[in-house]
Amino acid sequence: MSLLRQTALIAAKDLRVEVRGRYALGAVLPFAGTLLIAFGLSLGPGRTLLQETAPGLLWLAVLFASVLSFRQAYQSESEDGAIEGLLLAPVDRAAIFFGKAIAVVAALLVMEVVVVPMVAGLFGLSLGREPLTLAATFVLGTIGLGAVGSLFGVLTESPRAREAVFPLLVLPLATPVLVAGVKATSLAVGGRGGEAGSWLGLLVAFDLVFMAAGTLVFGFLLED
Amino acid sequence: MPVAAPAVVLSGVTRVFGVIPALVRADLRVERGDTLLIRGANGAGKSTLLRIIATAISPTYGSGTVLGMDLVARREEIRRRTELLGHRTRLYEDLSARENLRFTCSLYGLETRTLEDVLERVGLTEVAGERVRGYSQGMRQRVAVARALIRMPALLLLDEPYSGLDTEAKEVVDRAVLDAQRAGRTVILATHDLTRGGMATRTIFMDGGRILPQLPTPSQT
Repeated sequence: MSLLRQTALIAAKDLRVEVRGRYALGAVLPFAGTLLIAFGLSLGPGRTLLQETAPGLLWLAVLFASVLSFRQAYQSESEDGAIEGLLLAPVDRAAIFFGKAIAVVAALLVMEVVVVPMVAGLFGLSLGREPLTLAATFVLGTIGLGAVGSLFGVLTESPRAREAVFPLLVLPLATPVLVAGVKATSLAVGGRGGEAGSWLGLLVAFDLVFMAAGTLVFGFLLED
Repeated sequence: MPVAAPAVVLSGVTRVFGVIPALVRADLRVERGDTLLIRGANGAGKSTLLRIIATAISPTYGSGTVLGMDLVARREEIRRRTELLGHRTRLYEDLSARENLRFTCSLYGLETRTLEDVLERVGLTEVAGERVRGYSQGMRQRVAVARALIRMPALLLLDEPYSGLDTEAKEVVDRAVLDAQRAGRTVILATHDLTRGGMATRTIFMDGGRILPQLPTPSQT
């Protein structure tokens, strides 16, 4: 079986678990929405301040939501020891890494489709000026978060590690995504998408580095 | 005609978790087609021994072969031909029994034609479309048995498969072992349930991480 087919199998299984459990819709989306509303309320009614801070707040919400999503994705593997089933199956370790990343990236992108317009409405952002740059920023940034989360999620099989260690590992490593995502989003909503090339380049580089690292290292993290 | 290598050969296998030795210098030989029963109290090292044979964990020291293949160097091939059925059933809670089994078939490149037949054999046809999250331990173990029946591995490893099961579910496990026996497959069954394991062709005892050289005193069983 090819790596592509194995990846598709694992991603499809994770998406089915996600759809059944409705974790993205039932837990992650309300969390991100509530977080953004709380940010907005804490900053007060000043429209300029809200517009200036909105990209940063939006990416923080996406980052926290990705941590929640990956914790859930790996919880379904550890609840009844299912991860051992994957370990013992004749499956390329890279397929497990990519499959889990793809499923969470898909769930996060769906969440972003809801949250981004909501932020635009609440904070008075204009999404129509550079829609392609904006879309590319979120897709590339989410892929980066997906790669980091999939790589380190496997280390957090025990519930305690999942609660404490996973955010400590992922949040610092995801800082480049946060910085580049905020900058590129600011430029896109400000109608200066043409200047976002270097930030998008940083996101592409980050994605490639962590996808390569995941392909090479994931097997060692998964094995005893 | 070449003679098939023994199903399992372990030589001085030790496994240490941190500083705690879970398995100490285990030597073991299991011939093909044997049904080996491992008895011992909780913490005797039975699970560690089975997990090493299944290549779920590696030995800290020592060497061995499973189905003639080196325990460490050829673990991918060993995994294709063994099935470990433990107290954790390795199921996805939000998928149904049928979906879990289909996923296993897909991973191993197996046909799904026999799936419904196997579900019937383990008595799960009626509930196979329901989420595993709502299953009892006995029903979960039946799904795990169904997975083993679908895979028909050359070496079937059962680690306390009767834990928390009612009599009917225990009989489902026994039937799976007997089926494997009849098909000439090797079975290693670890249990401290003294009412089970009558089908074994050989019994060994473990205590404190060691395979005992002789029959233990009654308190050790």
